[in-house]
Amino acid sequence: MIEARGLLKRYGAKTAVNDVTFTVQPGQVTGFLGPNGAGKSTTMRMIVGLDRPTAGSVTVNGKPYTAHRRPLAEVGALLDAKAVHTGRTARNHLLAMAATHGIATKRVDEVIELTGLQSVASKRVGGFSLGMGQRLGIAAALLGDPRTLILDEPVNGLDPEGVLWVRNIAKYLASEGRTVFLSSHLMSEVALTADHVIVIGKGRILADSPVAEFVDGAARKVVRVRSPQATELADLLKAKNAEVEDVEPGLLEVRGAEASAVGELAATSRIVLHELTPVASTLEEAYMSLTADSVEYQSEDLAAVAAATSHHEGSKA
Amino acid sequence: MSATVTAPAGGAASGPTTEHTPVHNVTFWRVLRSEWIKLWTLRSTWWTLAATVVVMVGFALLLAFIVQLVGNEMEGASPEDQAAMGGVLGGTTVVAAGFEMAALVVAVLGALMITGEYSTGMIRSTFAAVPGRLPAFFGKAVVLVLVTAVLTVVSLALSWLVTYPLLNANDATVDFGDSDQIRALLGTVLYVTLVALFALGLGALLRHTAGAIFTVVAIFLVIPTIFQIATLAAAQLEWVGVVNKLLPSVAGAQITPNAGAFPDVLDPWVGISVLAGYTLLVLVGASARLKLQDA
Repeated sequence: MIEARGLLKRYGAKTAVNDVTFTVQPGQVTGFLGPNGAGKSTTMRMIVGLDRPTAGSVTVNGKPYTAHRRPLAEVGALLDAKAVHTGRTARNHLLAMAATHGIATKRVDEVIELTGLQSVASKRVGGFSLGMGQRLGIAAALLGDPRTLILDEPVNGLDPEGVLWVRNIAKYLASEGRTVFLSSHLMSEVALTADHVIVIGKGRILADSPVAEFVDGAARKVVRVRSPQATELADLLKAKNAEVEDVEPGLLEVRGAEASAVGELAATSRIVLHELTPVASTLEEAYMSLTADSVEYQSEDLAAVAAATSHHEGSKA
Repeated sequence: MSATVTAPAGGAASGPTTEHTPVHNVTFWRVLRSEWIKLWTLRSTWWTLAATVVVMVGFALLLAFIVQLVGNEMEGASPEDQAAMGGVLGGTTVVAAGFEMAALVVAVLGALMITGEYSTGMIRSTFAAVPGRLPAFFGKAVVLVLVTAVLTVVSLALSWLVTYPLLNANDATVDFGDSDQIRALLGTVLYVTLVALFALGLGALLRHTAGAIFTVVAIFLVIPTIFQIATLAAAQLEWVGVVNKLLPSVAGAQITPNAGAFPDVLDPWVGISVLAGYTLLVLVGASARLKLQDA
């Protein structure tokens, strides 16, 4: 179990993690979802005591990480694939890590086999591909048979087989009653692997709910309606408890009403329609819209920039 | 990579925990073992150790040949002159001839022990396993002291061995009955070990390999050379002499056979204590940065 309370991290004037509070429960996979630069890695580094929070606190299995006497038995962390000396072989790296906790050589060979590193175990890590580096990072995380696993972007650089392997191992570990906290910037990845999702953007928690619920909420249908009498129609729809959003003059996005119902309502009220389109928003779109404001490095729409530089904040909120 | 990985869905046998894995508390002894493994599993360690031996033995041999040449030249000179020459090119001076260069090589090893972990990201794994951080740092320090001390003793012994025939022929062997000569040889071990520790501390302070090595070379080679010239060129300036005798290398070297011939130098034991003081200062600063700053 991981409990973060009012966690805050500033680097100079920049706030990387802003007053974040959440709990990661054991027995399930919790996805930590957010765009690059949202504060996922910083949060994870604070959990394992590598970064000191500016304010707030975080505990793992009831204690701050640094207070544990067998930290590797409490938390196995894959923070990034590059936390290994490139001049050392994979097996020697694991042996050195194991020595700090008196973990037997047998266990080292066990995790090497488990992560499929047998063929490269005696090669120096400097020559590893990103995928092999990830596997080694996961091997190191599993070394102490930890109750809690923290995996930062574990599928980065893995081939499809490796991605599947990570998904399965995460689910398996959770099924054993362990806490699994897995970050990703891909909604689809989290939807496939996690039971619960915490969404972070610009250092703030945007959502914290079971994945099924998040998906339901996200996949709600939208009907796009274009009409010269949009305002009139909007009032009628609102009276029928539909959610209406004015996208631009003459264009509405309606939630909570089927396209057919909108069409019938317009017909009976003698309202002219120029367009009536049901739009099924995908999971990815829902996530994008949720985090649209909190993307650190936004790619600008070139045409929009050219048209009106002062207006580039956009109206997609 | 095409290794076949069994999905862990096949029950406990293929799972991450085939059986109970014994995991013990982190103790300093275990951290020490881990640092010991880390040191010997890097090629750079073997290179630097080999380089140290080569430098020590090489310089000793070179100087032994000079002793031989001088001996040939001085044949027939007065006993007083021969004695004076023996004072400058004594057995200990020859045997320990390469200690200043060796100290710089060992300094590279000391710095790399920590900067290598910062540059590769290994430090995050280290601190994840030892969240107290300082035990890992002190573990490195203990391993470094042990290895450097043994290495210097072995290098001195080898230097003594290979130069013995030449020195013996010139009646310039090390006199193991002379407590000053013994002190000078032990002092050499102390000096080299302290420089290595100093470099480890600098490495932890700067977290940068090139920066740490550059600084060590500046402090132990460049600045003393400048002051050596300055003490000759500007002997009337009192502060030059004072700073000179308090330089880490000049102060520390008074205990070695290469004690300075300057008029104003520290007593050997005071000198090595000054070097130890600087080293302690750097180590304390490094510990503070390790403990307080994000990894």
